[in-house]
Amino acid sequence: MSAALIGGIGMAALLVMLLMRVPVAFAMFVVGFGGITALNGVNSAMSLLASESFTLGSSAELVVVPLFILMGNVATATGMSRRLYDAAYAMVGSVKGGLASATIIGCGAFRLFSGFSSNHWQSVVGRDETL
Amino acid sequence: MLKRLTKLADRFINLSAIIGSIGLIVEVVIILIDVVGRMFDMPLVGAQDISQMSMIILVFGAMALCDKTGGHIAVDIFETSFPRWLNNSIDIFSALIGALIFALIAWAIYESSKISQMLNLATNIIYLPKAYFQWAVSAFCIITSVGMLLRGISLAVIGKEVEEEADL
Repeated sequence: MSAALIGGIGMAALLVMLLMRVPVAFAMFVVGFGGITALNGVNSAMSLLASESFTLGSSAELVVVPLFILMGNVATATGMSRRLYDAAYAMVGSVKGGLASATIIGCGAFRLFSGFSSNHWQSVVGRDETL
Repeated sequence: MLKRLTKLADRFINLSAIIGSIGLIVEVVIILIDVVGRMFDMPLVGAQDISQMSMIILVFGAMALCDKTGGHIAVDIFETSFPRWLNNSIDIFSALIGALIFALIAWAIYESSKISQMLNLATNIIYLPKAYFQWAVSAFCIITSVGMLLRGISLAVIGKEVEEEADL
C-alpha cells in the first residue's frame, strides 16, 4: 500500500470519526498511530508515542498557558477589562462600527499595560463583552 | 459491583486531579519567583526544569477529571439526527477507545522509563530524574484508562453512567 493511499484512508477515517462524534483527540490519535504503524511498523509507533506524549506535555510553549488563563481571570475578576472597554466604547461607541472599534481600542489599552499582543486581550475583552 | 468500582475509581480520579492542581500551583509560583528574581538579577536556578515537570503533572493529572466531566472536544452537529442506539454505541466506542489509548500511553511511557532509569536521564539544569515523572504520568494514564473503561462498561451494561443511576 502506497504512502499516499494510507494518507488518504487516514484523512477519510478522521473525517468519519469526527462526524460520528468521536472526541477529536481520540480520532486524531487513532489516525496518527494507525498511519505510523502502517508506514513504519508498530515498534516505531510505540516509541514515538512514549517520547512525543512526554515531550509535548512538558513543552516550554505550553507552560505559559496557565499563566495566560490566570492573567485573563485576574483582568476579568478585577473588572479591568470591562472598564477599559467601557472607556473605549464611550469614545467611539456611537460611530458606525463602534462595537468593533471599541474592542480594538480596549485591546490596545491592555497591550499598553501588559506588553502582550492584542490577540490575547482581544479574547479577554471580547469574551467579557459577549458575556 | 460496578458502582463500587466506579466509586473507587472516582477517588483515584480526585486524587490525580488534586496532584495536578498542586502541579499547577507549583508551576505558577516557580515562574512568578523566577520572573521577579530576574528583575533583581537573581533568577531561580532550574525554574525551567521545575515548571516543565510540573506541567507534565498538571496535564496528565487533570486528564482523568477532564474525561469524567466530559471535557473532551467532539463535533456534535449530527448528534440530533442520529438514532439513539447509534449515539449510545458511539459513546461506548469513544469510552473504550479512550481507555485503550491511555493504556497504550501508560505502557509506552513505563517502558520508556526503564530506559530513562538505566541511562540516568534527567532534566538539563538541576537534573531532576526523568523516570520518576514518567512513572507518575504512567500512573495518571492508568487512572484515566480505568475511569474510561468503567464508563464504557456502565454505558454498555446499564445504558448510562453509574453516577446518574446513583442519583435517581
